[in-house]
Amino acid sequence: MKRRLRDVPGAVAMLLPSMLLLAVWTVYPLVKAFINGTKSCDSTGTRCTDVGWQQYSNVWSSREFQDALAVSLKLALMTVPTGLILGVGLAVLADKHLRGIGFFRTVFSSTVATSVAVASLVWVVLLQPEIGVLSDLFSGWIPSLKNPGLLRDPGTALPAVALSSVWANLGFTFIVVTAGLQSIPRDLYESAYVDGASSWRRFTNVTLPMLTPSLLFIVVVLTTRALQAYGEIALLTQGGPNPEKSTTTIPYLIYGENSLIRNNLGLKSAAAVLLFLVSLVFAVVQYRGFEKRVQYAR
Amino acid sequence: MRAARTRRMRLVGGFAAIALLAACSGGDSITDTGATNPPTTAVGPDDSGVSTTLAPTTTVAPDTLPDCPTDALADASGTVSLELWHGMTGALGEQMDALVADYNASQSAVKVELISGSYEETFDNYLQSNQDNRPDLIQLPEYTVQSIIDTESVIPVGKCIDASGFDTAPFLTSALSAYETQGVQWSMPFNVSNPVLFYNKRVFEAAGLDPNTPPTSLEELRAFSEQIVESGAATYGIALESGFDSGGGWYVEQWFAKAQEFYLNGDNGRTNRATQVLYNNDTGVELLTFLQQMIQDGLAANVGDNSGTGFDNLLKLADELQPAAMTIATSASLGPVLEVLGSGQFPGINADDVGVGPMPGPDGAPGALIGGASLWMVDHDDPVRAAAAWDFITFMVSAQSQSTWAAGTGYVPIRSDALDVEPYASTVAADARFAVALEQLESSPDALTSAGPVVGPLREIRSVLATAVAAILDGADVQTTLDEAAQQANNLIADYNARNS
Repeated sequence: MKRRLRDVPGAVAMLLPSMLLLAVWTVYPLVKAFINGTKSCDSTGTRCTDVGWQQYSNVWSSREFQDALAVSLKLALMTVPTGLILGVGLAVLADKHLRGIGFFRTVFSSTVATSVAVASLVWVVLLQPEIGVLSDLFSGWIPSLKNPGLLRDPGTALPAVALSSVWANLGFTFIVVTAGLQSIPRDLYESAYVDGASSWRRFTNVTLPMLTPSLLFIVVVLTTRALQAYGEIALLTQGGPNPEKSTTTIPYLIYGENSLIRNNLGLKSAAAVLLFLVSLVFAVVQYRGFEKRVQYAR
Repeated sequence: MRAARTRRMRLVGGFAAIALLAACSGGDSITDTGATNPPTTAVGPDDSGVSTTLAPTTTVAPDTLPDCPTDALADASGTVSLELWHGMTGALGEQMDALVADYNASQSAVKVELISGSYEETFDNYLQSNQDNRPDLIQLPEYTVQSIIDTESVIPVGKCIDASGFDTAPFLTSALSAYETQGVQWSMPFNVSNPVLFYNKRVFEAAGLDPNTPPTSLEELRAFSEQIVESGAATYGIALESGFDSGGGWYVEQWFAKAQEFYLNGDNGRTNRATQVLYNNDTGVELLTFLQQMIQDGLAANVGDNSGTGFDNLLKLADELQPAAMTIATSASLGPVLEVLGSGQFPGINADDVGVGPMPGPDGAPGALIGGASLWMVDHDDPVRAAAAWDFITFMVSAQSQSTWAAGTGYVPIRSDALDVEPYASTVAADARFAVALEQLESSPDALTSAGPVVGPLREIRSVLATAVAAILDGADVQTTLDEAAQQANNLIADYNARNS
């Protein structure tokens, strides 16, 4: 105990730089955002009146926020499981000691080096109905590629955005899973093999359980990314197609080009804090759900 | 295996729980939730007439505004450094850099440094900065006028014009009046654009139309479209869209100006602070019914809200399978359009096939509203910096600078005499299509309706209207949809006015 106390000044000194950075760049803005959410301000955010915490429930129950929340959740539901399954699938495929496998690993992980902006622009060019590549090639089989175009059809716009998002995030998932796979001790596979386990059995009983720490990490990150999706929306659909606003996620509602609350500090702070809380609930639920099953290699 | 299934169920359960929460409340609009809850009784759905209850007249007494000591530059010790925040990026940014470099090289008293971002970033940064961190000059688009006035942070350029006896006679009246409210000239127009009609001359010929006579009225637009579609020269007469900076918002403002009708009360917000939009009146209903009918009759293609590429409507002219013959787009896109088509990658249309005409409007009325941006002088309570900023502005709007700028970018010069100065004189002589937007502005009637709407949340109002226009193009009832959009816009205005006055 005494020894611990003696360590305190040293520990504080070493933690201070990161605590300071965290306080200035994360804690302070967060607290400030919580407080701003209770205010009504002019466009410059200087002349404010206090309107109380009521504003949070008003924003939460507003039609636009509810619609945007539904879109954000749908986007998460479309991107997280798909991204996870594809990422694990590709990583397991590429986790073989074959000649030339490096080439495939490079290809599979290449989207990590692709920014959201570049990825989205690629998909704009592919999906553009008038002169786009896909509509030229496949509109005979899939007429909606041309008329009205996947990004213009209220039913397909969000799946199309999800497609671009899954593609752009695949490299990240692939790399994390690959790293996870390489840390699985080979003797586990060998003993499973000796016990006569089929390759599917080895995958479900050895690979998956040993991957749970990576999977938890990926699920949390992908969910947060989906809930915070902004770049792909701004570049692909700008929250449209209108009037359905089929791709207006919460971040786009807050800060999109056509946002109604962009210059309203109180409302946009409240909406942003609510988004934070939703993400937090998800992260906690996911940690809880995984907790008992996560196997950390000893 | 079972563990994995349970985990997945938990996850799905989590999603479902929140989705359920999300589904359980219908709710008001987010824009009604502010503390300054706007009176929802402001306008009934059927009260589409001009309001009789204007906001209190807040006429700005010119003597309470900061002065512009234009001769203070002589007191400067050494070179005065100024900062200009602007919204010109990409190729436009390069032209901006070159023009400002010309200014810096032309004299040694003032040196201007540029900081660029998108219009929106520039506008946001300005609003969120405190006065000390704001630049000396800022270039902002036309929809920000009232918001910037309400920050009470600028020196109106009108004060400088008066103080220095600057000659604005060669300027386009409509360019100046776009940035004037309640008799105060707030900022100096710099880059000006307006919507024009782009059409494919080859399709016109194939349809038996004169390729050099584009339609000028909405009636002609329909008749031409019928001929084009019936002759099979193109699938559609015109490509329409509902983008908020174009077909869904800005063009509707243009059409109101052409009809010489006010879009907002308070004379478009120019003599009094506006409290209501008027776009759900007969003019608006007639106009949008016309557009809806064009689509329902198969004469117009609806390319959606022009997101993604930002010029889907122009691409519709190059569509190989289902082309349109015409579309409306900003004059600023003429240069890029000719450049892209010049590559010859589109078999249906090349650069020489592109015709440009004035924007068709009700009864073929001429004229257009100013788009683009203006230069604002920020008040730092420093006569030397203010005088330096004014000196820079006079350079940027000189006939020579405007000629160089217009030739390099495709914007319209803000003064007619720039037409007589090289290089713009040669540009227009070589290609008359570049003069259409200027001629259109010169023919704008000298009336307050030609100055366009001014109101704090103009951009948000465009966004609301764009959603309504999209619904109408999809077949929604015109009057009901416009009434609802007007109600929401009026709430936005009431909320803005309550927060900002």
